[in-house]
Amino acid sequence: MTCWSVNRRSTDYVDGRLRGAEKARVEAHLRGCTRCDMRLQDHGSVRSSLQELPKVKSPLSQRTRLRVIASQERKLILEADGSRLRLLWNDWKFRFQQMMRPFTIPATGGLCSSLVLFGALAFTIGNTTRGAAYEVPVMYASQIDANLVPMELRSSIVLTLSLDGNGRIMDYAFRNGSRAVQGDTTTLQHHDIAVPEIPGVMALAQPVSSDIQISVTPMIFIR
Amino acid sequence: MAHPFFANSGKLSILAGAQSGVSEEDARILRGLRSGIEDAYEELIERYEQQIFGMVYRLLGNQSDASDVVQEVFLKVFRGVSTFREQSSLRTWIYRIAVNEANNHRRWFVRHCKLEVPLEETRPEHPNSIEYTPDPGRSPFEQAMDSETRTLIERALTQINPVFRTAVVLRDVQNLSYEEIAEILQVSLGTVKSRILRGREALRRELTQRPDQGFAEAIA
Repeated sequence: MTCWSVNRRSTDYVDGRLRGAEKARVEAHLRGCTRCDMRLQDHGSVRSSLQELPKVKSPLSQRTRLRVIASQERKLILEADGSRLRLLWNDWKFRFQQMMRPFTIPATGGLCSSLVLFGALAFTIGNTTRGAAYEVPVMYASQIDANLVPMELRSSIVLTLSLDGNGRIMDYAFRNGSRAVQGDTTTLQHHDIAVPEIPGVMALAQPVSSDIQISVTPMIFIR
Repeated sequence: MAHPFFANSGKLSILAGAQSGVSEEDARILRGLRSGIEDAYEELIERYEQQIFGMVYRLLGNQSDASDVVQEVFLKVFRGVSTFREQSSLRTWIYRIAVNEANNHRRWFVRHCKLEVPLEETRPEHPNSIEYTPDPGRSPFEQAMDSETRTLIERALTQINPVFRTAVVLRDVQNLSYEEIAEILQVSLGTVKSRILRGREALRRELTQRPDQGFAEAIA
């Protein structure tokens, strides 16, 4: 028998599972091979040392915890009352809860912080009306003459402009007393209206479409 | 009057045990667990808690980790008892769950906590923190020597490949048969023998540091 063959049988030999002729052949090899003999003796010593390791005592609290788990499981079984479907449902519910357990705290934290953030920014979302008084020179004049005398008219004109996200005028409407006119940018010139550049309205750092109302006090120039 | 759990271990359970991989005792416990009988749960815990804790502790080398894993194992056993197909014995089934859980835990530990420094050191550098069952027949000197040897062996055990460690622990510490180990690890008998051999050889090398030095010299 070669060293390789003995090595193959060493586990059985050390564990005392070899019998008869096979055992005798291994022992014959060991008598003539110090290296194999020493190795197998060491394996035997390793085995006996491991077997002699003292029994480890589990913590006292562990038994109590196991009893609590057992009690909860018993309750589920008794509640299911032999219904396999209900047991299966409980099992999947348990698996789902186990699966979600690591995500619960981060998800709750994320949800809370997003709610706080959304609540803080909610005021900037939606239709907000802001009143402002500007001296906006809106004028269309066909003739320039130094001798003209300005005269303020009693009626006022309310001009409503619909702006897109980039501050461009999409359409407009104005009311002049009882007269209401609607139109788009191509007809602005036709109604003798010149409007200065209006900055776009921003919400959440993004330009949004909006309506702007401009109250105009019309003036005429007479000679 | 005897409790139905104990009174029912009759003809039917013997037949059930004979036809499947579970013994009559196992079948009785399983029946009790499936019916939610308290004594069955108590008996299962009584019978396997120490064994499973001992094995998991030897695989992980940490008491609190072992305790957590044992709880997971029993929870899985209680949960899985309705789907257990009884093709293997109850013991090998529970051991299989325990080995898998210990492996999962070790992998998780390696991935997440390898670089963490624990506040309370309970790793094998301080193996005395775990409580052992004392041997009243040993003198204080012998107990001190035993403690030294035990420390050496336990440290060596944590150093070897987990695959071989599992096989060696199941065979030499838990005293399971090759067939049971093959069933637990879901491998062939040849693989079991090979893993045990390589595990013992790795332990020998770890303990002696030099392959040519004898084990007895190393621990003397």
